[in-house]
Amino acid sequence: MCDVCGCSHDEVHETKVVDVNQSLLRANDEIALGNRKHFDEKGILAINLISSPGSGKTTLLEKTIEALQKDISIGVLEGDIETELDAERIREKGAPAVQLTTGGACHLDSALIHKGFHALEKQMNGKNPHILFIENVGNLVCPSFFNLGEHCRVVLISVPEGHDKPVKYPKAIKTSQLLIITKSDLLPYFDFDCEKIKRDALALNPSLTILVTSATTGKGMEDWVGFLKQEVRKRH
Amino acid sequence: MRRKKVHEVSVALGMVDELRKIAEKNSAKKILNVKLKIGRMSGIVTDSLKFAFDAVKLEHPFIASAEIVIEEVPLVYTCNECNRSFDTDNMYFPSCPDCDSYNLRLVSGEEQHIENVEIEV
Repeated sequence: MCDVCGCSHDEVHETKVVDVNQSLLRANDEIALGNRKHFDEKGILAINLISSPGSGKTTLLEKTIEALQKDISIGVLEGDIETELDAERIREKGAPAVQLTTGGACHLDSALIHKGFHALEKQMNGKNPHILFIENVGNLVCPSFFNLGEHCRVVLISVPEGHDKPVKYPKAIKTSQLLIITKSDLLPYFDFDCEKIKRDALALNPSLTILVTSATTGKGMEDWVGFLKQEVRKRH
Repeated sequence: MRRKKVHEVSVALGMVDELRKIAEKNSAKKILNVKLKIGRMSGIVTDSLKFAFDAVKLEHPFIASAEIVIEEVPLVYTCNECNRSFDTDNMYFPSCPDCDSYNLRLVSGEEQHIENVEIEV
């Protein structure tokens, strides 16, 4: 009896080593590349928002839609483990939104975005938005591993979370182009060192742009909206 | 059971798909060993990945007896000022041990790939 697999034949099991040398995330990266090509062909700016739960991604989107919707069309893909709550909040502001529920997964991947974007196109009767916002599942760890085909990854850290987040979650900072510090109206009430967080974030990612905002007072929103307008203009 | 839980599980599930393609391409009956290179700064927890792979492989006969062997790749930088290369455990603010410069380029440590597989043909 063969002692490799327990079969009753005395066949010779030939083994060999095959060089592979490919990324573990190849499948995701290939679909992401397809998403990106599609966005580029349609002139869509795709933005992936990542942060912890409760740092203000949906609120930032609501304020952004209010500020931009006269001139710029916005579509939103909302990632959550369960519920349609966030998509409903976005629709109430007048922007089309598709809720992607991951059913347990802590991040979005490029295949979900591909599917979700086609559902959004349908909802928009075949029209394309100028900006596609992808609100990732609230989590500062796993979403930073998955390229969705976005042009720009934006990471949010709110004042109540603390200024130590960049050094605790370096991958989120290293893979983003923009850091938005939210809820800055709460700075007087928290031991949050704005200079330290900027220093740490820039040490991890020297090309990172950092904005300090408050959706309540409107602080910094002009810079954010200005950045978006400029990026949209580049594509039209 | 796609896309569940922590990213290591997603990575393990993606790995199953890739291994299936590799097995088909090479007419392999099964896969025996999978060698991975995982960088110190890749963000993948190697124990979690092993645990996830061992859980998902049981559903797929062609990899059910496969073992993954992980080579952890150290974090290596080269100094742009004095050209010294060095290993470090400092993932955040490494500086050159010779000239103290922070102007460094990453040489290795972000790897997350399949190096090779041993197959039975």
